[in-house]
Amino acid sequence: MTVFKYFIKIGLKNKWVIIMYIAIFFVMTLLNSTDAMKREEAFEETRLNIGIIDKSNSELSSSLKDYLKEKNNIVATKEDEEYIKEQIFLEIADAVIIIPEDFTERVIEKEEAIIIYKDDRKPHSIQIENQINKFLAFANITYQNGQFALGDVKEALKENTQVHVLSKSGFFENSSIETWFRYYFNFTGYVILAVYIAIIGIVMSDFRDERIDNRRKISSKKLLEFNKEIYLGQLTLAIAVTSVFIIASILLMGRYIGHIYYIKYLINLMVFSLSILCLTFLINNITRNKHVITTLSTVLSLGSSFISGVMVPQELLGEKVLLVAKFFPVYYFVRINDAVINSLSEVAFELFMQVLFAVAFLLLGLMFSKKAQRI
Amino acid sequence: MNIIRNYIYQGKNLFRDGTFLFWAMVYPIILAFFFNLAFSSMMNVNFDDIQVGIEENNYIFPILEEIEFINIHKITQDQVDEKLFNEEIDAFVDSDLHLTVKKSGIRQTIIKEVVEQIKQTVKLNRPIDGTEFSVNYVAGKNQESNSVIIIFYSLIAMVSTYGVFAGIETASLMQANLSNLGLRINATPLKKQNFLIAGVIVSLLLNLLANTGLLLFINYVLKIHLFTNIAYSLIFIILGNLLGVILGIFIGVSNKKSPNVKTAIAISLTLFLSFLSGMMGPWIKAIIEKYAPFLNRINPISIITNNLYRINLLGNTKSLGEGIAVLLIYSMVLLIGSYVFLRRKSYDSI
Repeated sequence: MTVFKYFIKIGLKNKWVIIMYIAIFFVMTLLNSTDAMKREEAFEETRLNIGIIDKSNSELSSSLKDYLKEKNNIVATKEDEEYIKEQIFLEIADAVIIIPEDFTERVIEKEEAIIIYKDDRKPHSIQIENQINKFLAFANITYQNGQFALGDVKEALKENTQVHVLSKSGFFENSSIETWFRYYFNFTGYVILAVYIAIIGIVMSDFRDERIDNRRKISSKKLLEFNKEIYLGQLTLAIAVTSVFIIASILLMGRYIGHIYYIKYLINLMVFSLSILCLTFLINNITRNKHVITTLSTVLSLGSSFISGVMVPQELLGEKVLLVAKFFPVYYFVRINDAVINSLSEVAFELFMQVLFAVAFLLLGLMFSKKAQRI
Repeated sequence: MNIIRNYIYQGKNLFRDGTFLFWAMVYPIILAFFFNLAFSSMMNVNFDDIQVGIEENNYIFPILEEIEFINIHKITQDQVDEKLFNEEIDAFVDSDLHLTVKKSGIRQTIIKEVVEQIKQTVKLNRPIDGTEFSVNYVAGKNQESNSVIIIFYSLIAMVSTYGVFAGIETASLMQANLSNLGLRINATPLKKQNFLIAGVIVSLLLNLLANTGLLLFINYVLKIHLFTNIAYSLIFIILGNLLGVILGIFIGVSNKKSPNVKTAIAISLTLFLSFLSGMMGPWIKAIIEKYAPFLNRINPISIITNNLYRINLLGNTKSLGEGIAVLLIYSMVLLIGSYVFLRRKSYDSI
């Protein structure tokens, strides 16, 4: 087990880089999944994010604000056109409204009474305009003897209509816990790809040193034996990395594990890790160039994650994109995380595909290794 | 003469390292290509009319017909499920003014709002003549939103700092304790200072060349037009390059770790900062804007990203001065730091 022993030794020598890598990517995973709970598609009315600047501070403006708050989420803004425009541009706010000082008079005169910043191309802009126009029209209808009957308006606005939902949209369970796990594990897929290739690459680069490699070639160690121990070493490192993410998910959200089908995520992640480990084995047998390995670590991980639905949900990606994504194991990994299932047999195909990738990568890796053996 | 020879040799050294070229030039192009693949469908927003299914004898039929953003489909009760499933209609309104939808969303919410308005008007129970609802109380100011595009600005910001790898290389060439070449160079009467300046300039030029390649690719091949104000944009890209190279030199001279480790530090650092500036999804940027806005003002990649989209898409140059100042301060601090590590190093034997 000399090879294995030295693999671990080199790994330990580089422990700080490895820890740094894992730590940075772990922070990214956490940030990404924290946000995911809010990104979940609500099954209720869509609430817009709006900013309100009220310079009127009248009875009418405050009851308008109350109404809008009931229907929408309020985001902080400030009275600065460039700031507001940037909020709209970045979609931090769907609309920002400014209620001027002479608001009440303008409403009574039926003039334009509110300035609103929005993106005209989006349905959200119609929604917010409708809400404001409706409220002000109602207020004006009740206007008599210099008084609005805002109580009546409020009462009328409580009237609502029933919505019958035909069926759930299928693939997603509508709980924020489920969403958290989905985003957490999807992003972990990206991290596994990036981290495996990078850190195993660092450890392997010492083995790939030409002089060491030549010495190894003339030694009595059989190639298969050598590869077995190398693979074992890589496996150990891989298990360590994957465990960090599994343990963290249990520590963070362990109390909810009973509510979801956790075993699905667990098994999926393990199978995926295996296939990426084999990919890493292949890469390390194709090239000994550290630049190529670091490049691959970033390009392969980011590129395939982007098109496979790690960062953006698969249903938002085009069909052509997904067609390309099918050539990467990440696609199948994400599909399983996204699927709402009752038993693993429902995702047997996706699991099988990942195993298939693993086998293919491993065999190719061995082939290249054999080829490199010749001098 | 010495300095020019330095330029040539360092340039050759970096250029001959084919992998550096690949890393700096081809890699960003591949990434941009993937980004475009994934996000092209999300970048164009088009609002089509909302499709509402309704029975012809429904009493609100004429009201809905009047509304410009609603497109009416006359259907019968037994067609509802099929039409909803095929997404031919977004919602169905029945005679009790109840809605049937397949999923929730903004379009469904708008219809709900419209139908509720009819009910609420009845509830309000005041005489109306119909003109009340044709008044427009809002003065709209349009600002197109396109948060997804910041992914590209963020990518450009990230690769503008990729001079960091050339910087690391330069540092290892200069240090006797890092490379054999460094050892030999240290034994010569060459001035370190000249060597350093030559290294910075060569790295800068090569990375700028790589950046130009990426920009041309995005503009002419992907046909995403990111730049309207070239001059200001260039300032930030050049500053990003400068910071990158100096950061590389700093990483290179500040420790004795292997080149692999140094590269790993550089990659993870730039990647993490880019992540925070929105490269893997604009929502991350939005959270930071909400909870820790100062991070966006001190993160160099964010500074470059923010200024690029402000300059080019919002016509906003307010944060320009601050951004340039912060980037220059970073560069200065790192340069002084590197100098402290580099100066007065001589060896009797090594």
